[in-house]
Amino acid sequence: MRKVIATIIKEWILLRRDVAGFMLLFLMPAILIVVMALIQDAPFKDYQNLRFDLLLADNDHGRLAAEITRGLKQSDNFHVIDSIDNQPLSDSALKQLLQQGNYRVGIVIPAGATAEMVNTANTVANKIAEKIGVGKLPAREARSNKYVRIYFDPVSRPTFRMSVNFALDKLITASCSNVLIDRMSKLSGDTASAPPTEDFRKMFSGIGIREEALNDKTKDTAHINSVQHNVPAWAIFGMFFIVIPLAGNMIRERDERSALRVQLIPNANSSVALGKIFFYTLVCMLQFALMLCIGLWLLPVFGLPALYLGLHPLALLPIVLCIGLSATSYGFFIGTLFKTATQAMPFGAISVVILSALGGIWIPTDIMPAAMQKLAMASPLYWGLDAVNDIILRDNKLSGSFLALSVLLAFSTLLWLVSLRINKTRAYSVQ
Amino acid sequence: MALALDIQGLYKMYKGGWSPALDGMDISVRENQLLGLLGPNGAGKSTTINILCGLVIPDKGTAKIFGKDCVSDTVTVRSVIGVVPQQIALFGQLTAWENFRYFGKLYGLSNTQITQRAGNLLKRLGLDAHADKRVGRYSGGMKRRANIIASLLHQPQMLILDEPTAGVDVQSRAMILDFLKEYNEQGKTIVYTSHLMEEAEQICDEVVIIDEGKFITKGAPKELINNTPGCKRLEDVFLHYTGHSVRD
Repeated sequence: MRKVIATIIKEWILLRRDVAGFMLLFLMPAILIVVMALIQDAPFKDYQNLRFDLLLADNDHGRLAAEITRGLKQSDNFHVIDSIDNQPLSDSALKQLLQQGNYRVGIVIPAGATAEMVNTANTVANKIAEKIGVGKLPAREARSNKYVRIYFDPVSRPTFRMSVNFALDKLITASCSNVLIDRMSKLSGDTASAPPTEDFRKMFSGIGIREEALNDKTKDTAHINSVQHNVPAWAIFGMFFIVIPLAGNMIRERDERSALRVQLIPNANSSVALGKIFFYTLVCMLQFALMLCIGLWLLPVFGLPALYLGLHPLALLPIVLCIGLSATSYGFFIGTLFKTATQAMPFGAISVVILSALGGIWIPTDIMPAAMQKLAMASPLYWGLDAVNDIILRDNKLSGSFLALSVLLAFSTLLWLVSLRINKTRAYSVQ
Repeated sequence: MALALDIQGLYKMYKGGWSPALDGMDISVRENQLLGLLGPNGAGKSTTINILCGLVIPDKGTAKIFGKDCVSDTVTVRSVIGVVPQQIALFGQLTAWENFRYFGKLYGLSNTQITQRAGNLLKRLGLDAHADKRVGRYSGGMKRRANIIASLLHQPQMLILDEPTAGVDVQSRAMILDFLKEYNEQGKTIVYTSHLMEEAEQICDEVVIIDEGKFITKGAPKELINNTPGCKRLEDVFLHYTGHSVRD
């Protein structure tokens, strides 16, 4: 154990004197987390918390248009612009503004849309009334199709288009339902008085949707956001960058022959290897802790939400230990496999970038194609992120991360065995 | 006197090599002897030392240090030998003290032992004033001396040095050679390789000349000079046995 501790102290002195390596380990991921969390804040909001300017040309001026306009204005997502320079927006002005790229979405409510909606409601109400033998409301037989038209800026993404479509569809459906309720109220014998209409509304709202948290029902569902994704993701990425100082250090020690002296000391080799692993795993854990602190206290200063650590934050400790072990064993493997720093450094850095892209560090794996989602499982970073997400997003206990931890430990063990094998066959010489 | 080193019929052919590095080498060294292992480039000096340290496994033959087999009992052998590699085997980013403290701990020494032993050696080899400087900033001679100190911390019975004075100034060389003599006088066995014949003639009790992986001759420098016709210096003896052709 004294040999292991001596190695840890030696590694600490070496790292302390390697300013560039130190910066790479702590400063780079810190900057990365702040920058990425800020950049990805908007895309991660998934149009739920963003407010867009929405152009509205109302050619209807009826109930439907009023309810759509009111609904859109009440929504947190849209800032409705229905007039420019005190002039109501026309179809052509709306299209022109969209074409110029200043706005992302425009809605045109056609003339007669309310009349058509009322007519449809009357027709439906009459069909029902016919069957139960009550009165009849005025309705035209001939119907004309009226579409509320949506125009998008051509660069708008499909998810954005879908969100706006859904929002508008919901408002139209609600308006149609309201008209239908009114018609049914009328037919039910009451002379359009308020109480029966309210009864119908209550009946309609009998089945609704309410989103709840999976584990703690008293809490709101924790949504993935830029901070929840970027902080653990880039912290894990930073941990795997331990490859650079660790592999570099191992190659330098072989080059300057201090590794040869270690070889010549009886029973020192395994203690030195263990000391390196302990030290660099500890560095990884400190790195992760620092990144969590950034998520908890620094990012809110930039207007981002604070990192939420889940209901069992202590479960992160063994998870981070396993991620640290994987990162360190990968670095040890690279440092053992390659003979020169010129080979090891680019390979180490690029392979970590590839593994991170695969593992869902850059973008969450669930928005990747199915084949890539399967391939992601080959990356240790995927399992690390999955285990962390289990705790901070899914509010799970450590037991929920058993598979991920097993994979990380298996990955570390495999690389260890291969590294030891390579090291055993490596030729050392006193010359 | 008992044999400190006993090499019998060592044979080693490296993968891809066109001739054996060692071809039936026989060498014996008595305890407390200072032996010079001399040979031109490619003679097999470094391979022999590598086998003695357990870094290379011979194809045939045996090598024993104080009766312990260098292949099957590497751990014991390594605990009784100190090896000074040709290149500086120290952490350039650490100070001399930090290096010695670390290697001392790896040898299982206590802090007191390390402080005492390294302190004495630093003083003896003229590095005590520079012990807190990083080894990477040392001059060539200082690095060589520090390299020797690191190999002596565990007080080995046998010291094996591969060209310990290569590329150092006259003063450093003199200090190193004096120290080796002194160490030998303390009852320690020293095996040392060099291309500097004058140096070997000056400090060695005996020299062994090897070439092309084979033992050529052995004896005290004076004895070899006297017994080889037309030779006035050890270098003449060396050239007599190994020839004048350039080795690559």
